[in-house]
Amino acid sequence: MDKHNLWSIRLGFSGKQSPLIATMGLEQFLEASYGSKFSQEIPDFLKDSPKTLQALRAKRQALQNSSAEETKEMLKKELQVSFEMKSWWIEKMRSEEFPLREKMTCFWHNHFVSTYQKVKVNHWIFQHNQLLREQAFGNFKTLTKLVLQTNAMVRYLDNVDNRREKINENLSRELLELFTLGIGNYSEEDIKNGAKGLAGLNLGEDKAVYRKLLENNDTITYFGKTGKFKADDLIDIIFEQKAVPYLLTRKILQWFVYDSPTETLVNYYGDYFRKVNFEIKPLLTKIFTEEFQKDNAGSKIKDPLVYILQLMHELNASNMNPKLIAFFLKQQGMDLFNQPNVKGWNGGKEWLTSQIYLQRNNVADLLCDGRSWNRRIQFTEDSMTESMPKLNVKVNYNKNGNHLAIISELSNRLLFKKDENWQQEWESILKYDFNPKAENADNAVLRLFNAMIKTPEFQII
Amino acid sequence: MLPNFLHAFGNQPGLVKGEQCLVFVQLNGGNDGLNTFIPYDNPLYYELRAKIALSKDNIISKNNGMAFHPALKNFAEIQQKGDLTILQNVGYPNPNRSHFRSQEIWQTASDSNHYLNEGWLGRYLDLQCKEHQPTAGINLDTIDNLALKGNEPNFITVKDPNRFKIRNDKDENIKLSDNPQLDFVRKIANSVTEGSTEIQQALAKSTTEISYPKTNLGKNLEWIARLIKGNLNSKVYYTSQNGYDTHDNQLAIHQRNLEELDCAVYSFYSDLKTANLLQNVTLVVFSEFGRRVKDNGNGTDHGTAAPMFIIGGSNQGKVLGNNPNLSDLDEGDLKHQIDFRSVYAALLKHKLAFDAESIGINTKPFVGLF
Repeated sequence: MDKHNLWSIRLGFSGKQSPLIATMGLEQFLEASYGSKFSQEIPDFLKDSPKTLQALRAKRQALQNSSAEETKEMLKKELQVSFEMKSWWIEKMRSEEFPLREKMTCFWHNHFVSTYQKVKVNHWIFQHNQLLREQAFGNFKTLTKLVLQTNAMVRYLDNVDNRREKINENLSRELLELFTLGIGNYSEEDIKNGAKGLAGLNLGEDKAVYRKLLENNDTITYFGKTGKFKADDLIDIIFEQKAVPYLLTRKILQWFVYDSPTETLVNYYGDYFRKVNFEIKPLLTKIFTEEFQKDNAGSKIKDPLVYILQLMHELNASNMNPKLIAFFLKQQGMDLFNQPNVKGWNGGKEWLTSQIYLQRNNVADLLCDGRSWNRRIQFTEDSMTESMPKLNVKVNYNKNGNHLAIISELSNRLLFKKDENWQQEWESILKYDFNPKAENADNAVLRLFNAMIKTPEFQII
Repeated sequence: MLPNFLHAFGNQPGLVKGEQCLVFVQLNGGNDGLNTFIPYDNPLYYELRAKIALSKDNIISKNNGMAFHPALKNFAEIQQKGDLTILQNVGYPNPNRSHFRSQEIWQTASDSNHYLNEGWLGRYLDLQCKEHQPTAGINLDTIDNLALKGNEPNFITVKDPNRFKIRNDKDENIKLSDNPQLDFVRKIANSVTEGSTEIQQALAKSTTEISYPKTNLGKNLEWIARLIKGNLNSKVYYTSQNGYDTHDNQLAIHQRNLEELDCAVYSFYSDLKTANLLQNVTLVVFSEFGRRVKDNGNGTDHGTAAPMFIIGGSNQGKVLGNNPNLSDLDEGDLKHQIDFRSVYAALLKHKLAFDAESIGINTKPFVGLF
């Protein structure tokens, strides 16, 4: 595979940025990505969703006083808003000139998991998501502090139930186990004491706030330090611990490059991460520029998001409804805003089962035929049953090339490595007397494309 | 007409007598019809093919001016037994001499200036299968075949049905690469084919009683026979044999190819005959085109019309159509006399009780095949 294409997929969701990376050079491309702008506005689909605590209370009361039918209707409406939010995000991933910010937002989304399923307030989920976008290239320590102050997180990890004498350890535990240090690097005492420090951190107007009456002001010992610690203090102490950088560097390597990064690599980048005070930009720059030099294509199984957005890009299927993409992701086990648990999607080999692979291949066939999958997959949500227009799919290729040139052009974009056995198959689809200027040439190339994207090699990046 | 027969049939345990299926063998590259079924009585044959004509002494089963290539001794025997029909000069108007395009035409049954993206068998299966049924068509190949491609995936492509015999949780069929991610995905890829349960069941119910040649085609036909005997209920089986593009060194290459074809087909024929299934199975052998009448030295270039072979399925056992006319040529190539689509239409009508017009084949069914 062409290196710029490989890194375009890794740093985004498709080969779309390949020419940019080639002309700008990787480092400049990264700089431009870090500087990419994004809208601060609250999207339209959220305009009727409750935002203030008052509005939410009013809504809860309305729900209590309404019939079962009305309740169902109100819940359904918010579920639709949640679906709109997925579409909105997918559209961003698909259309950003420098999609690294969205790729990183999605990384954080899967690190600081907080699902709509549990939080049930779209506005809070949006705020949480927007925070991750804003801080995508910021500082890990700062971001951890900010995330703990989101309404979404205190609700998701039950800190709303963590009160003065009635301690709930959930947030305290995950803060250590999943967000920062990783298992084995803290004691149960730390969790208990941390939970006391977090007690009372509860829903607020714009962000989570401590409520005086619910706080626990015991003097606690946390990683050997004793005092009266609140959320920010706890995080400051955590970031003094030796183990703190590695969980994150491992996850970043897994998200971008390797399903199974070596410990040496994890430690190497982890040490650097500490040295730069947990600043994300220098870490990413170091990882990407150093890994770019290596021959490491084929180290990672594609997640459903990259799988489908790459296909959309390759097929020029810009009129594909993002709701269908959201639905596909759900079917494939990567439902946005809805990870199965706080650990997030594990990725790697868990992305593929025979069922999922089969579905990928069915979708590949449908797309190459210009069809979307609403006919086969029935949507339960009402708004999904609208009929989808025939997609105008078309694969780009150089019309001046012969069959071998076209085969190599496509496989350079799609397959992480060349394979002699496949080469024979490709040449039996595009034969030596194939005329790229013939009337039906595009369809023949589409058949070649279709065959390529069903190979095991296409599932890997 | 029995529009639902596939579903109904799928639920029945035993073999239903009279249930028909079609088996296609596509000879890739353009088989030289004139050196396969040879107009040995025509002096022009020897005149135009100075280097590659087959001698009258070697060819076999001479009858009515035509004879078989010496490699096709089993074809001759099948003909003797009345189970082989040969259709002569099969082609289509305005022939295209590109492999690529001509295969597309044969596979879609389109006019030569008309482009379709769905295959003729795929369109047939779309209408026959009420819901998508993955094993309605079986393609023994590594890649999908346009002929079977329809709106719904009613066929599967299998390279080696043996893979279905053992559940693929085991690694034994996978050639390991140095990339663990790739090995993992390959293992999954092998286990994902829809219809694998049905195939496993069919394989469990059948054995091979006779020995097949260990060639690609031999193996593929052996698998097809196993699936038919195991009552898989697929309506269409498809496979192909490569190597017919004989621009050079034709005599040796063609001999080898036809031998492989002859032996594989004969094993298949005997196997089904022994199983008392030959009347239910119609084997169709064809190529995307024949080759130029005049040789180019040691080989032949792309041509047009060629013979098509039908074995089994209670065919009439005749030679249909006139012997090739070597003096009335179109740019050096034979003019077709039988449109392949009329053969398709006859196969659909007589063997599958299906009206070809409903999938856009408007050529009248060829009369006299069955």
